[in-house]
Amino acid sequence: MVHLDYKELLAAKALTALDAEDAHALDTHLESCGDCRSELSAWEETASFIALEAKPIEPSAQLRGLVLKSVRAEGRSQELARDFVEPGAESRAGQFKSRVLPFEKPHRGVWTSLKSFGAIAAALVIGALIISLLVFWQRERAAQQELARLSSEMQRAKAQLDYERAVVELLTSPDAHMAKLAGTKDAPGAHAMLAYDKNGHAMLMARGLPAVPKGMGYQLWYIKDNKKMPGKVFRPDAAGNGILEDQIPAVARDAAVFAITLEPESGVQAPTGSIYLVSAT
Amino acid sequence: MPPQEQGSDVELLHAVARGDEGALARLYDQYRVILFGLLVRILNSREEAEDVLQEVFLQVWKRAKDFDQLRGRPFTWLVTLARSRAIDRIRQLGARQRLADSAAQNASGEASDAVTDTLHSEQREIVARALAALPEEQRHTLNLAYFEGLTQSEIAQKLGTPLGTVKTRMRSGMIKLREVLGEETKSLLGPTSL
Repeated sequence: MVHLDYKELLAAKALTALDAEDAHALDTHLESCGDCRSELSAWEETASFIALEAKPIEPSAQLRGLVLKSVRAEGRSQELARDFVEPGAESRAGQFKSRVLPFEKPHRGVWTSLKSFGAIAAALVIGALIISLLVFWQRERAAQQELARLSSEMQRAKAQLDYERAVVELLTSPDAHMAKLAGTKDAPGAHAMLAYDKNGHAMLMARGLPAVPKGMGYQLWYIKDNKKMPGKVFRPDAAGNGILEDQIPAVARDAAVFAITLEPESGVQAPTGSIYLVSAT
Repeated sequence: MPPQEQGSDVELLHAVARGDEGALARLYDQYRVILFGLLVRILNSREEAEDVLQEVFLQVWKRAKDFDQLRGRPFTWLVTLARSRAIDRIRQLGARQRLADSAAQNASGEASDAVTDTLHSEQREIVARALAALPEEQRHTLNLAYFEGLTQSEIAQKLGTPLGTVKTRMRSGMIKLREVLGEETKSLLGPTSL
């Protein structure tokens, strides 16, 4: 529609007789057309005169009082609302009880109710989604922790398997050397076996060792021509058993004596503690 | 109404906007008869009309600050407000099921002579003459729209008349009403009339 088309609708608009579609189109046009707004005011003036065709009637005498009473109630309601923001309102708080008016309950149409139900339903759906996400997140987190635990366990099992395989290979090697170590007076029930190959790769398997104090461990020594060469340190388990993998110095691989002493856990360069295990010379 | 009275009504509305209950009471005294007659004509029920009239003056109390004298007269503003509330009430009561209260129709003739003042009577005569000057079908179309709140499509359906014809009758009737009222109301309404 063009401007003139809208002008054709103004008289009917003043009578509120336009159908919804035309009324909507005209309302949109009126928002931006001062000329039509002005003309509509004139048409409304004309339409208002039709009211005078109705016969004047006197309302009941009580109505005037009711009107003024409702206006006073409205005025008090507004005054009460102002009291909540005006300075000093607190000092009049004692008057509030007697001046409180019941609020008019808002009319809730079908659409309003449907919108409310829709909002509630949407909130429930969002809540359910959040809960589902939390549950999913927790399950995924638990699964990841389980996966990490299994992975760690598998690595330990693999390391153990590799170690045992190395021990077997060493013991079954055709050039393997074996040296038995016996317990001294400090560890009479202990004994050990040291296996090593021609490359010096050695495995010590000890049994029956006494428990060691905190910060201490058993250190392996390679002794040749009264020269004591330090090996690695290990701590036995609760049963007194321990395994140590080490590399024997080349000079100590033939006709050497092997011994175990109690030393600081970090190891020392010369033995300081008692001998617990020693091989035959 | 004369410019002097109109100016007085504007001042009354401004006073109402400032919270002057006395000004509202004077407006009520001045317009109650016209507005109540209009409401009874639309609603066909004194009870409903009194209820709506109370709502109308409560709306006047709340919305007086919205009144803009550059956009229309107090009379137009009040009548438009009252009619709008009445049409809303009709629609609330059900699709055109206006209260068949014949007693209300009878009541409409009871007090009118006693309460109408000379000025309003003069205005009514002018409007009655202007409407009488319209062809019957145009007058009937305007009445259906104004007093029954029917839309153009509803009027066409009710009368069994093409929608285009209803639109033409409505617009032609309004144009002619404006022409006839234009000259006669200038003397009553003052320089800012139609």
